[in-house]
Parts: sequence; structure tokens; C-alpha cells
Amino acid sequence: MEIVYVYVKKRSEFGRQCTFSDRPAETNVDIHPDPSLAANFIERNPVDAGAQCASDMSEHEVNTERFEMESEGVNHLEGGWPKDVNPLEMEQTIRFRRKVEKDENYVNTIIHLGSLMEHCIKQNNAINIYEEYFEDEGTADVADEPPSAKTINVFRDPNLIKRTATHLSWHPDGSKKLAVAYSSLEFQRSSKDMSYESYIWDLESPNKPDLVLRPSSPLVSLEYNPKDSHILVGGCYNGQIAYWDTRKGGQPVELSTVEFSHRDPVYGVIWLQSKTGTECFSASTDGQVLWWDIRKLTEPTETLVMDISRKGILENALGAIALEFEPTMPTKFMVGTEQGVVISCNRKAKTPAEKIVGTFSGHHGPIYALARNPFFPKNFLTVGDWTARIWSEDSKESSIMWTKYHMAYLTDGCWSTIRPAVFFTTKMDGTLDVWDFLFKQNNPSLSVKVCDEPLFSLRLQDNGRFIGCGSQRGTVTLLEVSAGLCTLQRNEKNLATAMFERETKREKILEARHREMRLKERTKSEGKEEDTKVESEEEKPEELLARVQTEFFDIIEAELRRRERAARLPKTQVPRPGLPERWAEAQLHPGAGVSGGLADEPSAAARAGVEPPVLWGDQRKGPCDE
Amino acid sequence: MDEFQSGEETSFVVDEVSNIIKEAIESAIGGNAYQHSKVNQWTTAVVEQTLSQLTKLGKPFKYIVTCVIMQKNGAGLHTASSCFWDNTSDGNCTVRWENKTMYCIVSAFGLAI
Repeated sequence: MEIVYVYVKKRSEFGRQCTFSDRPAETNVDIHPDPSLAANFIERNPVDAGAQCASDMSEHEVNTERFEMESEGVNHLEGGWPKDVNPLEMEQTIRFRRKVEKDENYVNTIIHLGSLMEHCIKQNNAINIYEEYFEDEGTADVADEPPSAKTINVFRDPNLIKRTATHLSWHPDGSKKLAVAYSSLEFQRSSKDMSYESYIWDLESPNKPDLVLRPSSPLVSLEYNPKDSHILVGGCYNGQIAYWDTRKGGQPVELSTVEFSHRDPVYGVIWLQSKTGTECFSASTDGQVLWWDIRKLTEPTETLVMDISRKGILENALGAIALEFEPTMPTKFMVGTEQGVVISCNRKAKTPAEKIVGTFSGHHGPIYALARNPFFPKNFLTVGDWTARIWSEDSKESSIMWTKYHMAYLTDGCWSTIRPAVFFTTKMDGTLDVWDFLFKQNNPSLSVKVCDEPLFSLRLQDNGRFIGCGSQRGTVTLLEVSAGLCTLQRNEKNLATAMFERETKREKILEARHREMRLKERTKSEGKEEDTKVESEEEKPEELLARVQTEFFDIIEAELRRRERAARLPKTQVPRPGLPERWAEAQLHPGAGVSGGLADEPSAAARAGVEPPVLWGDQRKGPCDE
Repeated sequence: MDEFQSGEETSFVVDEVSNIIKEAIESAIGGNAYQHSKVNQWTTAVVEQTLSQLTKLGKPFKYIVTCVIMQKNGAGLHTASSCFWDNTSDGNCTVRWENKTMYCIVSAFGLAI
């Protein structure tokens, strides 16, 4: 049965209008206060209520349990021999074998097993399951992706007073550790509380340094010994050299004597190739390059004064900041100086004067980095002032290639160890630039802003993939570059060779031309007669003066005429050429001369009785109206 | 033929509504003492139950139900209401309920459609 609901309304009531009437207010509730009830309650005075607009949070602790793991191996020996057969004894094994062979089932078993084996072997031969499928295609063309670099890790100076990370050195085997020298290079800025420590960081643990080196004076440079990865040599702020053995802890094993050390911070220290692996040399801004044997640090084995005039006078010497040494060319080395000159030296020369082979000048400021291209040792990179320059040993007059002048100082640079055409530079505004001059020459192909403070040092790991950059606040950032920047492109070596040769040739031609021109001028000036030469010289300034004067008056006349025309027009603005007002005033005194224009302006205006028109639109009172 | 229920008056029956309200209060608050933490729950429960029972009456009415719960600690409470409606068909009903620790006042207004 259906349930139907019907409600009934009188037909006349459908659509009936509402007959409103007012129901006056009536009290719904009227409860009077009853103080006696308050006796049931205790007054709480004061009431402390916390008000905080924060979400409710709960605290949980999770602690993973240590899971102990143990490596165990199983040594499988030949077995299956029955108890009475000693597997080592040949006789017993042979006897046993012969016995088994005589067994009836032997032949059947072997045949059965043999067929199984055959099946497996045939299967194996049919398909080579270890086949390399895409061998022929080679690696995908990585050059298509845009170059990029990403930060892997950041190591911060744990001390309160931050010092600059002035030098980085990668561990020679495997590059899992990074040695960083910290010091404050600003003149007399190091405070009393500044710690002298430098650290060796393990890449896996960025929170705590692996080893703390405690020199007697902050380290400016630090290098691992490429032959022995436990030995490090460091150059100190006060000029001493110290060497450490990481097995012996944080104190230096030996320190050079102050009397024979440098007088200024040791900016560069490099290990030499030697049989003993204990020789190194250091350079400092006091103008000396010293050679040391770390077994005997009491005095240097050799000294060289960086005096370009080859007289060995210390006062004339140039302060050395960057040092360069290539193990493949053990007798040659290069020094970059504060004055912007690169000095190339030969260690094996007989006299100190001959040690300095040549100089390359071209930078306006100190040369902070000097590096030879690992693929083309004849070409080297210098980084200083606002540019980075590439030089060839053959062209001594100028660099063969250079970058444009940047907005910030360049502080350090190095070549890529994989790609001959790529190098990296760091700047004072905290950016790391990657230059690939086969790809783009005007701008870096990648510019990464590493941090806000200036970057001071840069070091590429041997595999060319990771870069460490040290900043002014002691933060070392580890970056990984994209694959495109660290895999050798096809033809890159040939292209780079071609480019270097081309630039070198160009420079040589320019040099030759310059020389020619200078020679020509010299001969020309010698050949001419003295009088005519002198006369022509004298004439020139006078001529020049007269010419300038006539030009000047022409311009003034033209302006005057224009003004007249403008004044006649009904107060419309006439666009003027870009001449200043005062020139028009000065024309009232033609005798004022070339330089009189500006100086005479107030007097000219006063005499003319004209107020100098200040506004553009103020054409009503021109000088011509008077 | 269809059987239909006839004879239902379409006017507000105060007693009926009053009973509904009393039932709702009893079931929601019953023998509880005043608890600040539960008051919200109680007021909601009373109002919802009243309203659902009223709609179940099936009358063509619009209903408005309010509920006030006040702790008995000596304060006084006075409320009043005034309506402009059709006196013949609309109406209201107010129920005042109390126990040892609190007062509960529920008002229901019904307006004929």
C-alpha cells in the first residue's frame, strides 16, 4: 500500500495573503540573580590563561636501532669424497675414481648428465645473454643539454670568527678529502680571537672536519703531496713553511726557521717532482721564491729573487702571488706577481740572472691564478684584475685570448682536467664562471652564483667533475658540473689546438707588424730634416686653434639665427639642438676667445641686460630683441 | 481510493511542541551537572533533536529553535521576544528546565508556509 501524504488546505486559502499582526514582546526567561548560589563556587583570583596563536604540536622521538652487520665468507673446497678417501692423496683419489668408473650405473648416469649439459651449452651458444646491445651507438650527445652545476655539499668554518678559505687542495688518491687553508688576508684585520686552525674535510661528513691542523700562524696555502697522500705542506701568514703528516695528528711535524723563511705571507707552495718526493718550493710577496726539502726545513735549499732586471736586488723584486709548476716540465716554472707580470723561470740555469727566462705583462693588477693547460702546456691561463687571459709561451708581448672586463674582480681560475677548452673562474661577487671558448667567447657558458660573499679560491678535482670553491666567510662549496662540461667532446682536442695556433699566429703577426711600424717610424724620423720637422710641429697647434675658433663662431652664428627665427614665431617652442644656453650669451663678446665662453657668461649677460633664459620655453626675451 | 489523513490542523499546537522539547532536553542533558567542556555538545544535541522531531510532525511549517544553557552561579538572565506574523497560524513555545547546577531554556518558533 502506498503511503501517501496529503495535506489539506481550504481552496479559498490557497494563495491567501498572510494577515500579519504584531505580537508584542513577551518575556521568555526571567531568572533573577541569586548571590547565595555563588557560595557554591570558589573565586579564582588571579586567573592565568595563556593565549597563543599556534598550532598544537606533539613531540615524538624515533631512534633507529643499531643493526650489526658482519661480513662472512664461505670457502668452498673440493668435496664429495667419501670419508676414507683423502682428497689430497693422488693415489686414493685415482683408485676411487677407477672404482666408480667400473660401476654399472656409471655409464648411464654420465650419458644422462651429458645430455643435460649439452642442452645448456647449446642454449648458451644460441643466445649470448651478456651481449652488449647499444655498443655501436656510442654515448649520447651530451652537448645538447645546457651546462649546469649543482651544489653537492657545503663545508662551513666552525669557528665563530669566520676566516677566508684561501686555498683548497684535493687528496691525491680518490679525492675523498679536501684540505682547506683558512686565514684572514685583509691587511691587519685578523683579530686576537681568530683561530689559526685549518681543516681537512671528508666529503661525506660536512659537519665536522676530519682533521684539524694547528699551525703557529694561519695558513695561506696548503698542498697535499701527490706522491704521499699523508703529507701536506702549508705556507703560513708569517712566511714560514710547515709540513704535516696526517698520521701524526694536527701539529706540524716541522716548521721552517723564521730567519730563513719569507717575510710576507706565503701565497703559493707547490710540490716538486723528485725521487724522494720531499721537495717543494714556495713563493711570497716579499719577492722571493724558495726551494725546500721538508726533511730539513731549517733553511731553504735554494733561493731566487724575482727581480726582472735580473740583478737579484730584493728591493726591486716583484711580489709573487701565484706559482705554477707542471710535473711534465720539471725545470720550468712560472710565477705570477702582484704587479701584473708573469715571470717564467728555468730552474736549471747556471746563474741566478739566467734563471729568469722571460716576462709576460698584461694585467693591471695582481695575478691571482696561473695555470697551464693540461693538454697544451704551452698555453697558460692567468687570472687577475677584471679579466682572465690565455697566453702562449711564444708570444711575450700580449696574451693571445682574453675575456671581457667584468664588473667584479676575478680571484681564482683553473683549467678543466678533462676538456682542453674549458676553464673556471671565480669572482668577487660570489659567482663561478665556466668558460668554454669553443662554444662561446664573449661570455661564460655558465655562470653560477655560489654565495653572496666573494669567492677566493677554486680547485677542480682530478676527475674534472667536482669543484670546490672557498669564500670569504670560510664556506667551501662543493659543486658538481653537468656531464657536458666534463666529457671530452668529439674533435675537441683538434679544435682547441687549431684555435690556440690561430690565436698565437695572430698575435705573432700583430707583434711583427708593431715591430715593423716602430722601426719604420724610427727610420722616418731619423731620415727627415730637423727644421721641417720642428715647423710642422709648431704649425699644428696654431692651425688647430684657428680652426677650432672658426668652428665655434660658426656654431654660435647658426644658433643666433635660429633664435631670431624662433622669436618671430608666436611663442611656440622651437626644439633646439643640444647646445647649452651659455654659449649663446658668450657670443656677445666674440673677443673672448675659445675658452672664454663659460667664464664670461655672467658678465656678458649683465652687460647685455638680459637675464639668461633658464627655461626652455622662455623664448619671450631673447638677446636679439634688445 | 486513496486514503488520506485529513483533519490535521495547520496551526501551531503548543502542547505538542512543548512535549517534544521536554523530551529532547531530558535525553540530552538529563541528570548531568554543568560541565564547561560539554556545554557545546549539549546545546547542539538539544536543538538538533528538537528540530528533527518537529519536522517529523509533517506540518507545513518553518521552525526556528534556540537553546540557552546557563550555569547556576548567582547571575540573572532575562530574555524577551516579539513577533510580527499571522496570529492565527503561527506560534511559539518556550520551555524552561533546570536542575541543581544549570538552567536550560529552549524556544521553538513555528511559521506556517
